[in-house]
Amino acid sequence: MKRLLFFAIAAFALLDHALAQQTITLGASVQETGRLANTGRYYRDGYEFAVQTINERGGVKVGNEHYRLDLKILDNQSDVNLSVRQYTQLLTQDKVNFLLGPFASDFALADSSAAEKYEVPMIQGGGASDQIFSRGYKYIFGTLPVASKYFDSTVQAMSKFDPVPKSVALLYADDAFDVAVAKGAREQLQAGGFRVTQDERYSSNSSDFSSLISQIKAAAPDAVLVAGHETEVLNFIRQAKSLDFNPKLYSFTVGVPTADFRLALGRDANFAYGMTSWLPSPALKDDYFTNAQVFAESYQKRFGYEPDYHAASAVADVEAFVKAIEAAGTLDPKKVRDAIAQVDFESLYGRIQFGAVGQINLPQTVVQVYNDAVVPIYGQKGFLNKPRYPMPAWDKRP
Amino acid sequence: MSLLLQIIVNGILLGGLYALMALGLALVWGVLNIVNLAHGAFIMLGAYVSYYLFTLLHVDPFAALPLCMLSLFALGYLLQRNVLNLLVRAPMFNTLLITFGIDVVLTYLAQIVFSADFRVVNPSYAGSNFTLLGATVPLVRALAFAIALGLTVTVWLVLAHTRLGRAVRACAQNLLAARLYGVEPRTVYALTFGLGAALAGAAGNLYGVVSQINPYIGDALTAKSFAISIIGGLDNPLGVVVGGLFLGTLESLTSLYVGSTYSDVASFGVLVLVLILRPKGLLGRTT
Repeated sequence: MKRLLFFAIAAFALLDHALAQQTITLGASVQETGRLANTGRYYRDGYEFAVQTINERGGVKVGNEHYRLDLKILDNQSDVNLSVRQYTQLLTQDKVNFLLGPFASDFALADSSAAEKYEVPMIQGGGASDQIFSRGYKYIFGTLPVASKYFDSTVQAMSKFDPVPKSVALLYADDAFDVAVAKGAREQLQAGGFRVTQDERYSSNSSDFSSLISQIKAAAPDAVLVAGHETEVLNFIRQAKSLDFNPKLYSFTVGVPTADFRLALGRDANFAYGMTSWLPSPALKDDYFTNAQVFAESYQKRFGYEPDYHAASAVADVEAFVKAIEAAGTLDPKKVRDAIAQVDFESLYGRIQFGAVGQINLPQTVVQVYNDAVVPIYGQKGFLNKPRYPMPAWDKRP
Repeated sequence: MSLLLQIIVNGILLGGLYALMALGLALVWGVLNIVNLAHGAFIMLGAYVSYYLFTLLHVDPFAALPLCMLSLFALGYLLQRNVLNLLVRAPMFNTLLITFGIDVVLTYLAQIVFSADFRVVNPSYAGSNFTLLGATVPLVRALAFAIALGLTVTVWLVLAHTRLGRAVRACAQNLLAARLYGVEPRTVYALTFGLGAALAGAAGNLYGVVSQINPYIGDALTAKSFAISIIGGLDNPLGVVVGGLFLGTLESLTSLYVGSTYSDVASFGVLVLVLILRPKGLLGRTT
């Protein structure tokens, strides 16, 4: 009897082992709490949604075997140092297979060093700064387009406006992303023949722009370009209103395409220009989500808020890993890394292909907010809609 | 020249906001010798109270001021009576630790309950302004300045001329003598801490109108209030007004003449100077 029991248990154990599905674990340290949590959640939710959907559609095929994707997300509390420690933990203790990135260039800059040190590829969709990709690292890839090119389409569009804005003020925060954006914008403005009245750097997380706005108002430029994060942009606009500052146009690197922005500002959001590398268009077809519009609708239904390019970028990261793993036919980090460098496929985020230094190349579409809608204004092929220009003075707005 | 005037006006108005924020901290610190590291969290909660009153019940922020102050007063009173009172005669370090702990708990509770989404209170007059001597003056900031002054003067009058005020000052000067005179320290401490929290609530109430609210705004505000309290001096409630005005104007002028990224350098640099040259603050007694 005891022998029978022993054999039964052994048989079950073997059977269980044979049936247990193999998993590929993707690790990430994301800002779930802390001052960046408002955007960090796009990454957590994007990663989860992608992993779940890919598993539902059959998972990943490595050679002849099927694997499930698994996700291990840690909360870095919007603290860069904690984020680096968490990535190190994911690699050394949790022994995840591959890494997904955090939000924000400052984080991606620091965390990519962990990936490089342990030679495990990281695909991140949260950091656009050129600095991330200028160190000769081989194990970092990014799905946000190059920061220094963010304002390219805006400056091009500006040179076609009527009347052409002659003078521009450039403001930027002092973090990795915004400094890179400003560097590129500066070059573009000079090449475009614009007179730059102000080229001012301000502290990240400033809540008071009164002095800056007063100075810019005194110089009276036609256009203002601001490279900053969402809360700074919000404060800027509200304070511009309260100080009665009326440029002909102002454009911001982040915030404008997101629903929160329009909700917070109400009608004050009107006429603001921004940019996005992604719009939920049905023309962006995807193997797992049908297309970008279907993705946006199901994302909103599941998580209760509209996705923006952050979420799409996060999903693209997971899909890029799947394609690369399937192409490599192995889970070996070095071989997968080489496969990632070679991927080229269409997804709900656009065409995923990494350049020589590991960064994607996607154009930014200039958008403008009007009446709680984000209107695409200018893309690669020229004007998509007529811009509402110049911006009416605050007291003359409809 | 009018740019300079505008910058100075900006600085004064910013100073008014700063003074409002620092008032509660300075009161509690000066009188109870408790450095309340959760002060910023109280401001944050006051801001959320104002936000929900505005969004759900359409109560104007200025009308909601008494409600904000009352609710934060209740929170402060309960916290002091039941938690902080246990440490009133303990070393300073313990009160720092416990208020830090309260700060963390309140911040992360706010994250769980309210989520990290940023909120703004956007009444129709939020962007209104008027012109004074060629400078544009934002209406809300001017009103906040007036409220800061009003509250400071009220606090000063309460401390100087009412029974409660005398009891509070007595506890601060000589606890034993105060008790011999029949003052009940636990009630007095709780009332004072509650008052400090109420003042933080008042600052929070207006904060959402001039800036944006999220659970993490507290820490930076505590640091700022701390600096202002030291610069202004803790002996006199008017010290925060002086400290706030000084700091606000300094930051604005630094932004104009040196560069925007140097404002923090300037404020904390001044803090160091004040600590070296006039440790009791600009309005502190030099004896």
